[in-house]
Amino acid sequence: MSRRAVAAALTIGLALVIAAAAIRVARDDRAADVGSSGRSLAAAARALPRPEGPAFVVGKPARLRADETRARSAPVVRPAVAKAAPARSAAAVAPLPVETPEGTSNIVLVLGERTRSGTQWVRVRLPVLPNGRTAWVPRAALGGYRFVHTRLLVDRERLRATLFYDGRPIFHAPVGVGRPEWPTPSGRFYIRDKLAGFGDPFYGPVAFGTSARSAVLTDWPAGGFVGIHGTNEPQLIPGQVSHGCIRLRNADILRLGRLMPVGTPLVIR
Amino acid sequence: MSNVVREDVTLEQTWGELAQTLEAVDIDGALQETAAGAVRATRAGLFRRAFATLAGVAGLATLAEDAAAARGQTKNDIAILRFDLVLEYLQAGLYTEAERLGELTPKTLGWARVVGAHERAHVQAIKNLLGRDTVPSPTFNYGKVTSDEKAFIKTAVGFEDLTAALLKWQAPRLDSRSIVAAVVTLHSVETRHAAWIRHIVGLRPAARAFDQPASQQRMAELIAATHFISSRPRVTGRRRPKYTG
Repeated sequence: MSRRAVAAALTIGLALVIAAAAIRVARDDRAADVGSSGRSLAAAARALPRPEGPAFVVGKPARLRADETRARSAPVVRPAVAKAAPARSAAAVAPLPVETPEGTSNIVLVLGERTRSGTQWVRVRLPVLPNGRTAWVPRAALGGYRFVHTRLLVDRERLRATLFYDGRPIFHAPVGVGRPEWPTPSGRFYIRDKLAGFGDPFYGPVAFGTSARSAVLTDWPAGGFVGIHGTNEPQLIPGQVSHGCIRLRNADILRLGRLMPVGTPLVIR
Repeated sequence: MSNVVREDVTLEQTWGELAQTLEAVDIDGALQETAAGAVRATRAGLFRRAFATLAGVAGLATLAEDAAAARGQTKNDIAILRFDLVLEYLQAGLYTEAERLGELTPKTLGWARVVGAHERAHVQAIKNLLGRDTVPSPTFNYGKVTSDEKAFIKTAVGFEDLTAALLKWQAPRLDSRSIVAAVVTLHSVETRHAAWIRHIVGLRPAARAFDQPASQQRMAELIAATHFISSRPRVTGRRRPKYTG
């Protein structure tokens, strides 16, 4: 190998060594910069005022229970005529006023919906004779839906009332029902309103209005509606003692008054 | 519903569509042939009642000022939280009713089920914070919106968009930083709800690069315009019964 070739090889080797060293220095510098800025950010974050904790923390999503039982009712907010079918041309079944004879909102139990020609119709249970009648009203005649989880069962044979919440019994009491000549009607009804403070011992401290009507006392004032109420003759309960109403002892009707909302479905059997 | 993603649907357009939907939902015409001497509540009357409810919610704050001050809440913060609580009641009620009726398509019903559970949790959280200063829920009448797919979706898009916009307006107006910290945790969830329902309906989930706030006053007017806040039915009375006895 000539002297010139050796010199060239040495020069190239030296250049490579210098280049490698330069690259290494540059990398170290960059790393040092990054470390420095990272430390600066951390220092800046530490310098910030301490954040305040939130005033409230939202808990877990509140899901509806899958096994809840519910019934819905709605007040009549505009006078309407209930129809035999969900159509304007269908036969009229009964007028629906906005108030009950007791001056409360006229509540109907809602059983289902159907939309016809862009109009939504609602099938409702009616407080009319014959008992158990259902019919259709436009959705717009009703106010907002109210849901309840309760159901009241009155057994005329066992002379006993039982209130269920989501299918579980939460109240039971002995009852008085109609005499044989004025029987308490059987069937599916609902609780229309709740009266208290009216000052008549015959009805006790609390009286619930129902959609059930006496099929016998049709000329009774206000239409012969069947109520569920207290009494001034508790010794007659249980028994067949009334004109068709369902009577409870006053302590029982007061307890039922706290447990049973208006709109509760009622089954009398 | 169209599956085509629509671009640049703004808050005002969303509300405009919602207003049209609610107008279409009104079925007064159906009553005309079935009503016997119908006496109708006027729209103006309903509007006044709803607006009074919302305005009253803010105004009531003065009554509880002392108790709130003890908890570090200002009159201003209470008024804002009360307004939010009424809005949360309104939303929770809408989605709860839709879930209970079960008339919507499975996809929309699934959305209502999840979002309803969130809104009910929001209600509870705000009520807990307000304590004795809380307000009871108004009575709502959603009409057929909870069982009509189109009406429900448009209402849901409107409410979720507007709620997110309202929280943006309220956050810088709150006095307590801890309440701001809590409200922003609601805000992000409401924006997710809005994006999700927009996706379901085929609207672009993020319509703009920047979202605009909506004022509390504007929100109160819009809620009143829905007529969802209604008078409470009178289900108890003191009149002597006329039952058969």
